Amino acid sequence: MSRKIPLLSPDLRRLYALFLGAVLLLFVIATALTGFTPALFFGQSGEIWKFLSEDFLPPRLPESGRIQVIAEAFLTTLAMAMASTTAAALLAFVMALFGSERISPYPKAARFVRGFATFLRNIPTLVWAFILFSSLGIGTGVGFTALLITSFAFMTRAFIETMEDVSSDCVESLLAAGASFPERVVHAVLPAGLSGFISWYLYCIEVNIRASTIVGMVGGGGIGLVLFSYIKTFHYGIACSIILMVAAMVIIVDQISGRIRKEILK
Amino acid sequence: MSDLQYPLSSGSFFFSRRKRIRIRCKERRPAVPLFMCAVAVLTLLSFWYLDIDWIRLLSRTPDIGLIFWKLGHLSTNELSIVLASLLQTIAIAVLALLYSMLLGICFGMLAARNVLRLPVLSVLTQAFFSFLRAVPTPVWVLLMLVCFGMGPEAGVAGLCVHTTAFFTKAFAQSFESIPEETLEALEAAGASRVSVFFNAVLPASFSQLVAWCGMRLEVNFSECAILGMVGAGGVGYVIATSMQGYAYGTAGVAILLVFLTAYACERLFVMIKRLFRA
Repeated sequence: MSRKIPLLSPDLRRLYALFLGAVLLLFVIATALTGFTPALFFGQSGEIWKFLSEDFLPPRLPESGRIQVIAEAFLTTLAMAMASTTAAALLAFVMALFGSERISPYPKAARFVRGFATFLRNIPTLVWAFILFSSLGIGTGVGFTALLITSFAFMTRAFIETMEDVSSDCVESLLAAGASFPERVVHAVLPAGLSGFISWYLYCIEVNIRASTIVGMVGGGGIGLVLFSYIKTFHYGIACSIILMVAAMVIIVDQISGRIRKEILK
Repeated sequence: MSDLQYPLSSGSFFFSRRKRIRIRCKERRPAVPLFMCAVAVLTLLSFWYLDIDWIRLLSRTPDIGLIFWKLGHLSTNELSIVLASLLQTIAIAVLALLYSMLLGICFGMLAARNVLRLPVLSVLTQAFFSFLRAVPTPVWVLLMLVCFGMGPEAGVAGLCVHTTAFFTKAFAQSFESIPEETLEALEAAGASRVSVFFNAVLPASFSQLVAWCGMRLEVNFSECAILGMVGAGGVGYVIATSMQGYAYGTAGVAILLVFLTAYACERLFVMIKRLFRA
């Protein structure tokens, strides 16, 4: 084994070296800025272990009076995700019709519709939640609105892409036959893109189940708020059992939506 | 034309009157209308359960415009703090991505069924990481805050948990999509499992891994902006504190910068994707 056959061509090798160098440089800069090194884990391993084994880990049940509150909070979180996703899907469908240049009756305005959706989408959900909380007060209604805005913006973009992918032939042939805008929507866009819309809708449900827990944490109500208050008051055992339940909820919803997707998109 | 009716039934559309061409979908999917009905019922139930005070909500809606008006009065007094925190946020996102990439390759190797060929191990790894993935990131960050105290370190550690869990699944999928023949050829030549991984599986799935990383960087940045709000440093912390302190001008600048960075990220990846497709 004195000589190896080089498997990579030299210029590819140079590209990889350049890439690796850039990654290393980024790594060094980012470490310097945040001060995070894996050594932290070893330095504080005693404290972390103590926290895990004594406070966090045997998951404890809350006192029996609180169990009903927790169950209601879970239902609120689920209802918030469900209601906001469906409302957002309906609004996004209408919006997407005007955002797609091929379908919209006003193709010139499509650019503005998409710009508006991009603006809404690129502000994270929690920032929306903060903006809304400072104007509308706190409560489930505001959590609902925050989820509505972000999933509306996301689905508008997804629906526009689905429409552009799917229905150009049908729409053009209907247009040539003289069909009006509502007729084109009902007979071409809707049936051709239905499975795509449903698939995006299910994806959004999955995302919003997680997001509604997070929005709850800053004041949207639901299980996020309950979890946050238990962590704030150092009841880590109870927090642990709530985290396990949240994980179970998310996994169950994912399984159900996966099953539905398989059934519908067969 | 106005008396036309287009009844909607079983996911297909047909004309009920005479002299019309019947258009009927050949493949009927009975599951679709059933699904639609279920969604409608569940949504109505959800609205009923949430019991939102619509009148109060709608009457206060103009206040959103007011807040945006206040946010629009950008104040550049604390621009240096905002910029530093934005840089910190980007650093947290990048660092979490890099650590998770390494961890994700290790755990992805364990989780993929065709690398080590230990089915029990891969099932266990998959199950553990799907639990980690199911818990939202801010929860992990809150727990890390308890361990590390306030600051960006907790942000990196918390973000790593979720990103690693995501990468483990994604990378395992990429590894499993490698054709079996490649692996068999190397095994027949007497290569060990680990050297098969480093010489065949990793190079063959490299471009997919890079694509996953690009996608995740975008997600990480927007999550990172969120994490600050629970106390993990970065630009989210600036937004949260200045909103709570009614310093809307500073918050406006911070939100605008977050928006611009996220937008630039998105455009960049759209461009790269187009480059690779062409």
